[in-house]
Amino acid sequence: MSQSLTKPNRKTSLWPILSPALLWLIVFFVIPLTIIIAISFFSRGDYGEIQLPLTLENYKRLMGFGLLGFDSLYPAILWRSLVLGALTATVCVIAGLPLAFFIARLSPRWKNFALTLVVIPFWTNLLIRTYAWQILLSPESWLSRCAHTLTGGMSGESLYPSTFAVVVGMVCDFLPFLVLPLYASVEKIDWSLAEAASDLGANKLNVFRHAILPQIAAGLIAGTILVLLPAIGQFIIPDLLGGGKTVMLGNIIQQQFSQSRDWPFGSAICVVALTFVIMGLWVRAWCGEKPKELR
Amino acid sequence: MNLSFRRLAIFAAILSCASIATAASQQLNLFIWSEYIEPQVVSDFEKKFDCKVVIDLYEDAESMLAKIQGGGVSLYDVVVPPDHMVPAMAKLNLLAPLNREHIPNFKNIEQTFLNPPYDSGNKFTVPYQWGTVGLFVRSAKGKTVPDSWSVIFDAKQQDGQFVLIDSVRDMVGAALKYKGYSLNSVNPKELKEVRDLIASAKQRSTGFDGSVGAKNKVMAKSARAAIVYSGEGVRGMTEDKETVYIIPKEGSQIWVDNLAILAQAPHKALAEEFVNYILDGKIGARISSFTQFASPNRAAMEFIKPEDLKNPAIYPSPAVKAKLEFLQDLGPKTRLYDEIWTQIKAK
Amino acid sequence: MVRRKTEGVAMKQNSWRTTVIALLLFAFLYAPIAVVILYSFNEARFGTNWTGFTTKWYAALAQNSLALSASKNTLILALGSTSISTIFGTMLGYALDRFVFSGKRFLDRTLYLPIFIPDIVMAVALLLFYSLIRNWLGIFELGLKTMIIAHVTFQIPFVAIVVRARLSGLDPSLDEASRDLGANGWQTFWHVTFPLILPGILAGAMLAFTLSLDDFVVSFFTSGPGSTTLPIYIYSSVKRGVTPEINALSTLLVLASIIGTILLTLLQRKNSKQT
Repeated sequence: MSQSLTKPNRKTSLWPILSPALLWLIVFFVIPLTIIIAISFFSRGDYGEIQLPLTLENYKRLMGFGLLGFDSLYPAILWRSLVLGALTATVCVIAGLPLAFFIARLSPRWKNFALTLVVIPFWTNLLIRTYAWQILLSPESWLSRCAHTLTGGMSGESLYPSTFAVVVGMVCDFLPFLVLPLYASVEKIDWSLAEAASDLGANKLNVFRHAILPQIAAGLIAGTILVLLPAIGQFIIPDLLGGGKTVMLGNIIQQQFSQSRDWPFGSAICVVALTFVIMGLWVRAWCGEKPKELR
Repeated sequence: MNLSFRRLAIFAAILSCASIATAASQQLNLFIWSEYIEPQVVSDFEKKFDCKVVIDLYEDAESMLAKIQGGGVSLYDVVVPPDHMVPAMAKLNLLAPLNREHIPNFKNIEQTFLNPPYDSGNKFTVPYQWGTVGLFVRSAKGKTVPDSWSVIFDAKQQDGQFVLIDSVRDMVGAALKYKGYSLNSVNPKELKEVRDLIASAKQRSTGFDGSVGAKNKVMAKSARAAIVYSGEGVRGMTEDKETVYIIPKEGSQIWVDNLAILAQAPHKALAEEFVNYILDGKIGARISSFTQFASPNRAAMEFIKPEDLKNPAIYPSPAVKAKLEFLQDLGPKTRLYDEIWTQIKAK
Repeated sequence: MVRRKTEGVAMKQNSWRTTVIALLLFAFLYAPIAVVILYSFNEARFGTNWTGFTTKWYAALAQNSLALSASKNTLILALGSTSISTIFGTMLGYALDRFVFSGKRFLDRTLYLPIFIPDIVMAVALLLFYSLIRNWLGIFELGLKTMIIAHVTFQIPFVAIVVRARLSGLDPSLDEASRDLGANGWQTFWHVTFPLILPGILAGAMLAFTLSLDDFVVSFFTSGPGSTTLPIYIYSSVKRGVTPEINALSTLLVLASIIGTILLTLLQRKNSKQT
């Protein structure tokens, strides 16, 4: 293809460039996912083998109709994963907004410094940042002691392991995901609109709602989804900080593929997780349609 | 230009492949519980047989089986399954029959451990260590530690944080014993009862850990009590005098861990040498002195410290032994356990 | 963008309240990193009580053959997977930017799926895939090779997207000029496009490299005997509650990423000044 002296024909030279990556992704991504979907309709053997007959049993179980009668357990976990994901995203938005504005308002020199400070945790191993919270929230840490005194010394209650610890860990780990895209859109704000609004007598809240929020909406949505989706499917953070008490989607998937050895059921949970992600991406694409460059 | 780009790509590919393919020729892949073999024993074996021993660890039997089923059967050479896991692994064709001729030290095994119900004729396994499941507790000043599972299961008895064991049969077994049932109950009513019992204990606990992790939490004072295997309990007691290992009065579990060679082991000959090496009396004694579990090796007894042999936490008295029960393979009924375990974990 | 610097709206200044909130948030982001570094010098073998200053965990780490072989595996895995994914990802990014073909929009969208899919789903999907193929063809024994394949799979989309973003920012007239001067497709790519997108390729490669270093879940499920990586080693040690040496190891890793990030920022700044 290199030696052709004629003008390059775009159609013919596309495939050599596109096909390696495309084939790779088909073989190692699309086919494995198809296998997962297929396996989710199989049954589990007595010792954890994957076997016939084909069945909807795994999905029924996920909806609550299990071996020992109805139990709202699995629906509750799906719900909990969504709620904790949404909670994490909300806290990140509340914390990320002031941070993004703060950075955007700094002088260029300090701005670069602050941005680097946000980026560093992002490049630092998530596992390390997560287990560190075990130390920070352990019963003897001063943080726990403060909390202990503030709450009036409830005995037997500790900050770790708990749902609280899981959310703290997730917010800490995912905050940079939100701040970076949000900062990018705060940087692009046309402040004259805000000025005009406040000249017209709008109060601070209204200026923010009508003049600023629409301008940063794209970044906010992009960032929220960047937090929400990884949070819903998290495995490490609830595993290390929840102590087996705060169980999320990722944990029951892991459980099925290790201790319980129920690959078909685990696959069914994977399919549900996959559905969540596709829905999230669909929302993301739908919202990002108009201001495409903002991505 | 095109050529050099391609060359670059090929070079990168070769580089990444070549760096992987530099493994030693003689290698033994051992899949074993954590802190379960003296490191020096392993390096002595490496020296003696001029090989490299690669060790991967697990913390509970079910995860071990999952890894073996998920491809480990053709990767690892030697594995150390507990008694109740052996029939399932044999049925799934995961274990290779042992060639007794290559393992002359088999004669060292104590009579009572030969021909066990889980592996008649020792077709697939030889015993490695045995022990019990019990409570590892830090004693509060001036208080006697109750020798009962109620430390875990009775909310009124709770004194500080405690850790549950991250292993389905061990954990459910403890709850069954507390309720006075058999460790091998397959009665759905009893199982539902202990499921709820464990689930409520979980809410009061610091969660689930493997035996080693649970012991370390008590050592670190982030928990007061934990369910552990005897070896961890005894090692903890030696290091920290405030702690004790207790076999609860309601009864508990006694178990035997076994050495087995995997069906598709890549280095079968070396694996047999390894099994034989471990069964040597002196080596067996070193391992037991390190792990603080009990040895099923008759030839090892004379090399084990007398105080260990007299320690009731390692070698329980006949009276205590009478209250201990072995786990059995439950066949298809194992599903019940897997189901309640998933539910307990998910609650 | 420059224009608004002259405006003196109150909204553009940081109030002390925002400043305090921002500083607290930075403290929150850095608390875990700080505590790991601090505790790597703690004498206590168990628990979180401070019993005295020591550097013995670093000395122990240097003797720890498991940690050393895990470091080696981590580097082989990261370098191997990054070199493959950078090449394939760059090609994909190039194809997506420079060509129009049917299904492009779909491919564009689907490319985000491997990025957003929970890593545990990807891990178990590959585990299942490997074990089925192994039963059928006898290949894909779990080990470093299967881990590299898995890592390349999640790295390709990241590299492609970063490279593509760089490409779409380029002036298309440069390509045209090169073609008008008689250069063919490859010459144009190699002499014109490639130097311009090189920072993008490097950024993509850096991202891929970091993702590989960071990954625990996918590695855990696709690893075999002796292919333990640092994240797997850290995870299992944390689970077992043996942390002082792990704190020392983590401190070194944290320092590596801090230095890496700063170098990268400086490099980028230099680059953006040049162009």
